[in-house]
Amino acid sequence: MKESLLQRKRLIQCFLLLLLTATWGQALAQSRSVTGTVTDGANGDALPGVSIVVRGTSTGTISDANGQFSIQVSSDEDVLVLSFVGYTKAEIPVAGKTNITIALTPDVTTLEELVVVGYGEQKKSVVTGAISSVKADDIAGQPISRVEQAIQGRTSGVIVAQNSGQPGSSATIRVRGITTLNGNDPLWVVDGVVVDNGGIGYINSSDIESIEVLKDASSQAIYGARAATGVILITTKKGKAGRMAVDYTGFYGTSAPARRLDLLNATQYATLRNEASVAGGGGIVYPDPQSFGKGTDWQDHIFNNDARRQNHELSLSGGNDKSTFYTSFGYLDQEGIVASEISNYNRVNVRLNSTHKIAKWLTFGQNLGYARTKSVGLGNTNSEFGGPLSSAINLDPITPVVETDPIKASGAPYNEAGVLRNADGYPFGISSAVGQEITNPLAYIQTRKGNYSWAHDIVGNAFAEVKPIEGLVLRSTIGTKIAFWGSESFTPQYYLNSSTKTSQNNFNRSQNQVMNWTIENTIAYTRSFNDLHAATLLLGQGAYVDDNTRATNVTYFNLPVDNFDDASMNYAIPTTDINANGGEGQLHKVSSLFARLNYDYDERYILTAIIRRDGSSRFGSNNRYGYFPSFSAGWNVTRENFWPQNDVVNFLKIRGGYGVVGNDNIGNFSYLATIGGGRNYTIGNLGGYANGFSPNAPPNPDLKWESTSQANVGFEATFLEDFSITFDWFNKKTYDILQYPRIPAYIGAISNPAANVADMQNKGVEVDLGYRRKFGELEFSVNANVSKIKNEVTSLGNGVEFLSGGQSFQASSYPITRTAVGQPFNSFFGFRTLGIFQTQAEIDNYVNPEGDPIQPNAQPGDFKWADIDGNGNIDGDDRTFIGNPFPEWTFGVTINMSYKGFDFMMLGQGVAGNQIFQGLRRLDVSNANWQSDALGRWTGPGTSDDYPRISTQDPNNNFTNPSDFYLEDGDYFRIKVMQLGYTLPQSISGKVGMSRARIYLMAENLLTFTKYTGFDPEIGGGVMSIDRGIYPQARSILIGVNVGF
Amino acid sequence: MGVFFVTSCSDEFLEVKPRGLDLESTYYKNRDEAYNGLIAVYDVVGFMSSGLITKVGAVNSASDDHYAGGGGPTDVNDFQVWSNYTLSPDVGPQEALWAKGYQGIFRANALLSKLPDVPMSEAEKARFIAEAKVLRAYFYFDLVRLFKNIVLSTAPITPNEMYSVTQSPPSAVYEQIEKDLIEAIPNLPNKVSGAEAARLTAGAANALLGKVYLYQEKFGDAATTLAKVNGPDPGQENPTYGYALLENYGDLFLTSNEFNKESIFEISYTNESAGNWGCSSCSDGNILGVMAGPRGFSINAGFEGEVPAYVSGWSFFSITPGLADAMEGDPRYPHTIADIGRWKEEGKVNYTPGYMDTGYFLDKFAAKQHDRWGGAGDADLNYPHNIYEIRLADTYLMEAEALVRGGGNTTRAQQLLDAVRARVGLDPVPATFDNIFNERRLELAGEGHRWFDLVRTGRAAEALAFKGFQAGKHEILPIPLLELENTALQQSKEYGGSL
Repeated sequence: MKESLLQRKRLIQCFLLLLLTATWGQALAQSRSVTGTVTDGANGDALPGVSIVVRGTSTGTISDANGQFSIQVSSDEDVLVLSFVGYTKAEIPVAGKTNITIALTPDVTTLEELVVVGYGEQKKSVVTGAISSVKADDIAGQPISRVEQAIQGRTSGVIVAQNSGQPGSSATIRVRGITTLNGNDPLWVVDGVVVDNGGIGYINSSDIESIEVLKDASSQAIYGARAATGVILITTKKGKAGRMAVDYTGFYGTSAPARRLDLLNATQYATLRNEASVAGGGGIVYPDPQSFGKGTDWQDHIFNNDARRQNHELSLSGGNDKSTFYTSFGYLDQEGIVASEISNYNRVNVRLNSTHKIAKWLTFGQNLGYARTKSVGLGNTNSEFGGPLSSAINLDPITPVVETDPIKASGAPYNEAGVLRNADGYPFGISSAVGQEITNPLAYIQTRKGNYSWAHDIVGNAFAEVKPIEGLVLRSTIGTKIAFWGSESFTPQYYLNSSTKTSQNNFNRSQNQVMNWTIENTIAYTRSFNDLHAATLLLGQGAYVDDNTRATNVTYFNLPVDNFDDASMNYAIPTTDINANGGEGQLHKVSSLFARLNYDYDERYILTAIIRRDGSSRFGSNNRYGYFPSFSAGWNVTRENFWPQNDVVNFLKIRGGYGVVGNDNIGNFSYLATIGGGRNYTIGNLGGYANGFSPNAPPNPDLKWESTSQANVGFEATFLEDFSITFDWFNKKTYDILQYPRIPAYIGAISNPAANVADMQNKGVEVDLGYRRKFGELEFSVNANVSKIKNEVTSLGNGVEFLSGGQSFQASSYPITRTAVGQPFNSFFGFRTLGIFQTQAEIDNYVNPEGDPIQPNAQPGDFKWADIDGNGNIDGDDRTFIGNPFPEWTFGVTINMSYKGFDFMMLGQGVAGNQIFQGLRRLDVSNANWQSDALGRWTGPGTSDDYPRISTQDPNNNFTNPSDFYLEDGDYFRIKVMQLGYTLPQSISGKVGMSRARIYLMAENLLTFTKYTGFDPEIGGGVMSIDRGIYPQARSILIGVNVGF
Repeated sequence: MGVFFVTSCSDEFLEVKPRGLDLESTYYKNRDEAYNGLIAVYDVVGFMSSGLITKVGAVNSASDDHYAGGGGPTDVNDFQVWSNYTLSPDVGPQEALWAKGYQGIFRANALLSKLPDVPMSEAEKARFIAEAKVLRAYFYFDLVRLFKNIVLSTAPITPNEMYSVTQSPPSAVYEQIEKDLIEAIPNLPNKVSGAEAARLTAGAANALLGKVYLYQEKFGDAATTLAKVNGPDPGQENPTYGYALLENYGDLFLTSNEFNKESIFEISYTNESAGNWGCSSCSDGNILGVMAGPRGFSINAGFEGEVPAYVSGWSFFSITPGLADAMEGDPRYPHTIADIGRWKEEGKVNYTPGYMDTGYFLDKFAAKQHDRWGGAGDADLNYPHNIYEIRLADTYLMEAEALVRGGGNTTRAQQLLDAVRARVGLDPVPATFDNIFNERRLELAGEGHRWFDLVRTGRAAEALAFKGFQAGKHEILPIPLLELENTALQQSKEYGGSL
């Protein structure tokens, strides 16, 4: 402990020292002041916030709310440089004037736009890497609960798939495909602070100034060690000098499920069960199926067609030439569409960003975000093992919601202790046909009432920036993420069915905290020669500490209460009824040095070179440091003198780069052999047990960095003034992938050792297209992107053809995915069907070369399986690759239109080329309900060639074999957001002191075009596209207001 | 400059001290840590997989005395497929049972490789080594009789040889088992009690060694070794180890009567480990309690106290009519078989018949209400009752069998058999192999011996024909499919392999 304190002290010393080295003062020249006004050249409005700098000096100011400024100049020869995002830079000679009015020309192209590149910004025209940006305007007022949604459909080369429709739940993001076999989540960096993937939900989307996705190695390399799976930079809004701006955006609305499954009703169910029973050699189960009528539609009881949702955001920003600030408050409250009582989300945000210019050469500032979230989750959001969704799908429709017959309600099983009842005292129905984890969802809801999890996240940094001489910037930043999170849950005694029950109540409280921190120091020196050569050299150093977590978890059993509200740990109960545990994370530290050189010749020829050295505490001393270089170049063809002035190609830049980035994403101390506990045994007869410890896994002292190299070639062009295109081709190769490959069980280790085992490749292309045009008062723009990617595992180590295991599915003895050499990561793997045997003759004719039947146990109505290995029988070796869960194509389109006060936008996004495993029915619960496609089952020759006969016996494994029977195309296109707004004329809104007033109506997930038959084709997760009953995304209709003062 | 200064901070900065995590390189530095290592080996004796597979549960399901039972035809499917002999290399209990054996061996080998350097009393060290060796022998014995073609290693397998090791012939495995046991016996105490009651003794090691000889049909060695366990006078307490048959057969299965005089090698459980479904295999409770219990069980009003207060369970290991018939009239019947079907007919109790219900339940394991744990953890996972790996009646019958089959002292064989029968008030029968074999079935019913006995004596094919047992195949379990992937291991020829 002492040691780490000392280390921290030292680092802080390092930080202060760096500041001191930069505090050499500078002489002040004699000067006089010049005043002026900046206006918008298009409409003559005053322009606040414009940066005005005396060329060749660090003297500068910012125009105020009325566009006015005052600046000190030293001579008449001085030139004022005015710059503002969205306008062409202007250079105005002072030439003896004391008051100057300057009109800035709006920049029609976006080339002057600044792109955040990590430790700095670059003009878009000189960027040589592949970076996708999302700007504040793109996401303003949109129904974005979590930041991942801001990227979906708006960036090429990035897949975003929601893990669940549960409000507040995270999404799976893959930047340029699957990079590695371990964590594929990108690195999130918010204002320079690394935030882990799970924790990014704290950020309020309306606080975001820009999001940059660094996609190729030449842009990622500056984040070296942790950049391989992509880097997403988030920059939050800063205040602008000038008038104080107050903005409010809010919306309110309702959500409903977009789609329901078509399940059998009670009569159909009883009919099929009779058929299955008879086919399996049993008798009729339900003599009169008609008597059940339609029965219970469980979906009616779990779905909420009016789940409320609201979002409010208020921001204040402003400042003067010394200090600027941006502060905001956000409030979000969202009910889930499934069992809303146990599915909702609430978040409160506060942000405080400010910058203070203490002296001309010294700036201090801080960016600080805070969020408090409370989420109520229903538990299994994509799980075949229970939860309201899986139960609603699988529970028989004969079971009533509540048992109202007093005779039944007093007999078994309703006389069991723990049977739950509704408000009227009737017991919730318990199925006599379907059991195990499949339970009455309304009763299940009762077992989770009141339970919630909570989090407080504080992410921020403080920085000092020193500009001792012209062109030199020294910057030191201390960043931290502090989070507290936990949960409170009470589980009453319950009896849901004979196997899902508990005789004890328990009350659990978990509390966790983390304090991760970062120190970064950079020196940047920019110099230009002859107005042609421009160079910036950046040197930096960083130290990062994360996984600094603490956890405590306490459970009290047998409290004398029966509901969450009454549960308390103040009750005195025997210590044997208390179970507590805790733990601390193992620190993960990274120490880095990095350098970047940017050079351009007249913005015509551009070079960028980066090198970063990272040291990670996750490797032994022999492999501790990794070096990650990159090089990229660009050629702005249209700036060449030989390029003729023309109206066809207005701008063309060709660029390319190559680099290597790394990944240390493996557990701490994985290179060492560790000892694990909990291997206890009751060694005596005096009660209790003795603690046992033994080695976990064999060590791997040679464990080293995983590295990803990537070549990227692309071009950006603007043509015919209105069209733009960006094209990228890339080839990304990952080597020495870190993993815990399964070792044979005869080794006897309880866990697997870490190793650098595999190689993988991703190739793809990305195209972004834009069109923007003004037709009179109608402004119109379309932006579209499409990406194609191909993933292939190229090696799994010497002699290893595939990884053992894969995604398990229900009680199936075969995994349903396999990661194998020459195939995409975790491809679907199983049996291939060749239709259905219509007659015994077909079975008898399906023979091997010896003339023996290949499926001697089959009956008419059973699947004919492909004998893949050709050995004359059907067994595990007849499985093959039957589909890919990862989409080959992703695409998005955004349309914006405005006419007078009206505006319209639409965002559509989709994927194509993947398959979804539709595994909604429980195979091991033979009486589970069916989807309506079962009505088209095989019932005799010619009745079906794709849905086999139904029987309680399944010797041919029609249903238990994972096969292409369960695969469906996952292609979809979704109208993600559609928005129609109206802005009041300034003449009206101005009267009540508003600078802007807009109302809008919007729809989220209005339409989804897909052939997929489940709830929702968008299924995230470590392996995507496995539908175990995913919580579907809601369709929301929202009305919003946007006002500014 | 600042950058230069900071760099010099970084090497030290990257040295991270593990929090609450011991490294193998620095562990085993004193007696207590070595003892912790020994406990970890014992831990595997009470093994249950996360899929609820235990050795006794599995071999009971496979035997002619039980069906797997449970809630449905795929409930704990690995038991079902062994029960009806539809198991295959990819489906069955083999993965769990294979993993169990090798986890124990790995921990024993790791400890044995460390013990020579641990600073501690030499006498105690010798005892630790002996215990680790007996446990290793015990795990190998289960593996070789379940799988026949297994990997044999007496030191931790290094990463370099991980994928190249091959299977050894069974004879080599048996040789190693005998060697470990013979080396261990002199360094083990004759008696243990109290806080170390579950630790191995010289008597337990001899009993295991005798059993190992018997399985190899080394009848002479078996009889001699087992005689040391059984003592000079069958029916009388063994003066060396203190073993004696309990007077009352039913007392063997009382939770209050654990580690009694008849117990030689007992698998020990507790209700205090707060086991829960978050990690079922981490529990140190006995899962058989709830598994064997009748499903949806309740006693009808007025009959409380007349029938045992069973806990409502999962109806596994339902007893076959074959065993029930064989035990009809035997004094051990009520302590072996719970006649719940009959009690239901008589209106005394109610229960929900499970899969392959016969109305007969295994009373030896089915938990009673007074054993049900109400504290932290899930009651189902925290039954405390121990089970016998070897008890004296077993070694009496094994010695008797070895004497009869090996042409030894038949008088002593008769005495041994008589003692077992006399304890439950049964008259003597001639000490023939068939009678001894039948006595084993009745005396030890449900305790996990029957399937092994049938197989080792070549009687399995006949006795298990009704379940689909195929001679020349089902005498062993297949090598788990995953063990063949990317390794040099071969499948046994019984399952289509080459070994």
